[in-house]
Amino acid sequence: MGLLALGTPLDWPEAKQSADHVREWGIKQLLAVWNRAKGKERDALLWGDEVEYLVVKYVESKKVDGQPSIEPEVTLSLRQADILRALAHDEELCHVGGCVPDLQAEGGSLPIFHPEFGRFMLEATPGKPWGIGFRDLLDVEANMKLRRKIAKDHMNADEFPITLTTYPHLGNPGIFTSPYYPPSGPKLRSQFVPDEIANPHIRFPTLAANIRSRRGRKVQVNVPVFKDKETPWPWKDPTVNYDLHNWPEDDDVRNGAAPDNFIHMDAMAFGMGSCCLQITFQAKNITEGRRMYDQLSPLGPVLLALTAATPIYKGFLADTDVRWNQISAAVDDRTPEELGEEPLKNNRWRIPKSRYASNSTYISDDPRLRKEYLDPNLIVDADVKQRLMDGGMDSLLASHFAHLFIRDPIVIFAEDLQELDLTKSDHFENLQSTNWQHIRFKPPPTGSDIGWRVEFRPMEIQVTDFENAAFSVFIVLITRAILSFDLNFYVPISKTDENMETAHKRDAVLNEKFSFRKNPFPTRQPRPYSANGIITPTGTTTPAVLSRPPSPTGPVEDEYALMGINEIMNGSKSDSPNNFPGLIPLVESYLDSMNVDVETRCEIGAYLALIRKRADGSLWTASKWIRNFVQTHPGYKHDSVVNDKINHDLIGAVIDIEERRWLVRDVDKFLGKGVAPCRDDPEVPCKDGIMALATPAPSSA
Amino acid sequence: MTRLILSTSNIMTGGPSIIRKPGADRSNLELTNSLRSNFLAAQQDYSPSSGSKANSPTAYEKEDSPRRPSPSLWTTRESSDFYIPTIDWSMSGLAEEPSQYDITVKIFYLPGADIKDREQHTKDAVNLVLKELGVGTIDLLIVSFPGMSFEGDCEWEADKKNSTQGNDEEEIASWPVLEEFYDHGIVRRLGLAEYGSEKLSRFLNRVRIRPEVDQVNVKDCCNVPPPLLKLAKLEKIALFVHNDCTNILPSGTLRELLGTGTRGAGVLSESKRGCNGLQGDLKPEWVVKYTAVVRDRGVIENKGYFAVAELEE
Repeated sequence: MGLLALGTPLDWPEAKQSADHVREWGIKQLLAVWNRAKGKERDALLWGDEVEYLVVKYVESKKVDGQPSIEPEVTLSLRQADILRALAHDEELCHVGGCVPDLQAEGGSLPIFHPEFGRFMLEATPGKPWGIGFRDLLDVEANMKLRRKIAKDHMNADEFPITLTTYPHLGNPGIFTSPYYPPSGPKLRSQFVPDEIANPHIRFPTLAANIRSRRGRKVQVNVPVFKDKETPWPWKDPTVNYDLHNWPEDDDVRNGAAPDNFIHMDAMAFGMGSCCLQITFQAKNITEGRRMYDQLSPLGPVLLALTAATPIYKGFLADTDVRWNQISAAVDDRTPEELGEEPLKNNRWRIPKSRYASNSTYISDDPRLRKEYLDPNLIVDADVKQRLMDGGMDSLLASHFAHLFIRDPIVIFAEDLQELDLTKSDHFENLQSTNWQHIRFKPPPTGSDIGWRVEFRPMEIQVTDFENAAFSVFIVLITRAILSFDLNFYVPISKTDENMETAHKRDAVLNEKFSFRKNPFPTRQPRPYSANGIITPTGTTTPAVLSRPPSPTGPVEDEYALMGINEIMNGSKSDSPNNFPGLIPLVESYLDSMNVDVETRCEIGAYLALIRKRADGSLWTASKWIRNFVQTHPGYKHDSVVNDKINHDLIGAVIDIEERRWLVRDVDKFLGKGVAPCRDDPEVPCKDGIMALATPAPSSA
Repeated sequence: MTRLILSTSNIMTGGPSIIRKPGADRSNLELTNSLRSNFLAAQQDYSPSSGSKANSPTAYEKEDSPRRPSPSLWTTRESSDFYIPTIDWSMSGLAEEPSQYDITVKIFYLPGADIKDREQHTKDAVNLVLKELGVGTIDLLIVSFPGMSFEGDCEWEADKKNSTQGNDEEEIASWPVLEEFYDHGIVRRLGLAEYGSEKLSRFLNRVRIRPEVDQVNVKDCCNVPPPLLKLAKLEKIALFVHNDCTNILPSGTLRELLGTGTRGAGVLSESKRGCNGLQGDLKPEWVVKYTAVVRDRGVIENKGYFAVAELEE
């Protein structure tokens, strides 16, 4: 989340009146940025990761004299504001530079903590961006551990920052927050979660309320339930209350919002309360930024499936493995007209996707981008596009922004509508930052030397810092391989939509196939002074200039094939017709050409081994580990219900996994065999090199 | 005597030839594959008849060798130098200012070459690379002497075995030309390849300008022999990883690459009494690999090889 401005937010009907005003000014600001920064060149690779945490209050089961304790054993802590304040007020820490942004000292490099949508969440970023120096890559994991430690140090003894995508009991009847608040408040009007679940900063409740208002009903987040052998079928979500009459929206469930066999949720918190792992890169210039945006797009669904970590919602095992669609539904502000449920009357378009969704278009001026890859039915605001093109922007990029601008701004502060400030980009950012696409193209912010950036957003947060570092470093390295080898992963953009859906399926990482480009390599350019370099297809000679690579021809359908995650990550086996080299071998080939010291190569090797093994199934995804944890728990009745005890023990295991992993069930199947870190003690072998944590004897527990 | 100068041009955009197969050990496949594909590309580019196939090398490769264009079309002879393929020097150079790059060069002295020629070979190799990249300095120059390796599964053992490999005297005698490059500021750092702890400490004691890098190929990079790790730390020598084999271009391989076989370039007769192409004894002398990386972006812009062999006609 960006900086949180203060002001008087407009309620929906009023905000709607000002939507055109904000868009109008947003375009002007965008054009100002474009004109100022389109020629920005030679920016270094700088990158940053964002790690998001849930804060849980966790107490080991205790009974005094046979009396069950009154306090529930595990809850979400809603003390975000107190914790951030503690971080901010820790003078010693601030003195050396690490705390919330306002108090951050210049040039500090300690982590920075940010508020997030959920009042039970924290976000932490490194104090300064990473570079491409391989030493920086080694610091990522250590810095993530430091972030976790600093966060923990500013919490109560019974509070813990954990990196699960979602809290398994969020919205489960009973007490799941500390302190407790009753559900059904005026802002969210949710049956399941209280208004207090959201960050109290006025931006967040307004965002939730205006999405609900614009939509005309509550959001509907329905996840298919996992059918276990004792699960009643058809399954009716037993937590749905059909007799509530506090708000008009309570009619939603009586009007079919909660279909059979789906876990039903009804508030933004069920989506935006999820934790993600996001990586942002600075590109050399706008051309490289646009190219990275396009090339990372087809990788999104692959990394989503590979990082799967979300098998439980509201206390039930789901039949999906990842969070993406739930967030998408949780912020879906489309009206019935836009959804195609009613004829268009007041709205301008039918809109096929939520504002949180996979990318809808490509933006690079790469000659390899074929028209056939684009969506012919892309919805754009033609006026916006024309104004951007009149301002000098090319059609492809103008289409991208004109597509983002089909949405209304949701949160508008009255104060901001008084004067247009072209040195700022707040109105542009209003729309840009509420278009949550799986890759985001970020123009340089005003008033700084930061360049064009691309954000990679699909990955699920992983349980351990080791895994989060592994995936962060992998993404950085694959971008370097893409640029160095001039790789081409283009597939028709509609295939990426399909792949995103596929990535949701249970164990998609092992069982599903994704449309992926077979040959990622560039076509060779003929020598300019050679016989073929100076003869055009018509036979006339032309001046000997470096010719562009010839436009690719042949049916687009021949360019891609259905591949499993293992084939995409580790390369085609000899019996596969695809001959795809594999993303990990591409990264290794990149590393082979770089000067990498043995220690760094060892650590990167451990990261790549984790990912390789997740892809080939020899290690489990977090989703599979959690699912297995539930299904083998003695308290589980094979009815899809994750009860209080199981939830408690699962959170306990997640807390233990960083510090006392030898206590955690099946951890070797999830993270690999624990071995000593090789770089500190070269005499200890680390053949697997999978886990940088020693496994002490259980007696020390 | 004819000097054959083989080149790959920039292999970064050369596609699959330089992608490591999963699990592959060190190899010279990158060199041989990229030489082969550059020969093929030059044959297509310089012979008008194959114009329609310029962009489908695989289709072309499948054809039988008789359709191969004459070497005179795509190679160049300049007095005793024979460029395979022709090098278009107008295409050389890097996209940005030389200061933006980290340039690493590695010279492989091949086993058949005369030790006394190493000085000249080194100068030739460095000059070719400077010309190809259009730069005046090299950031790191690594030399690989013949007969060195880390062999076996047990890295302790490998380090011990290494101490008896190579030839200390010849290696030390080859060093002054590198020191000269260093003195003139043409090379900023010097490096060695495949030196174990004992050889390295002997070497350090006897040279004026010390190497700052030792590039090793240990099977499992987490398993560096502890004595080497200790020495490197003490002497502040960076241990880098590599994946090359030491004898990167055996003469049989070279003969096959240039020969008239199905996968050969058709420049050299397979037998000494062949009727087309060059004939004679072929002696690979050295190979140089160069890599130019945009420093603060980690992007490899240019990478390639030159390989030089003597042909006694």
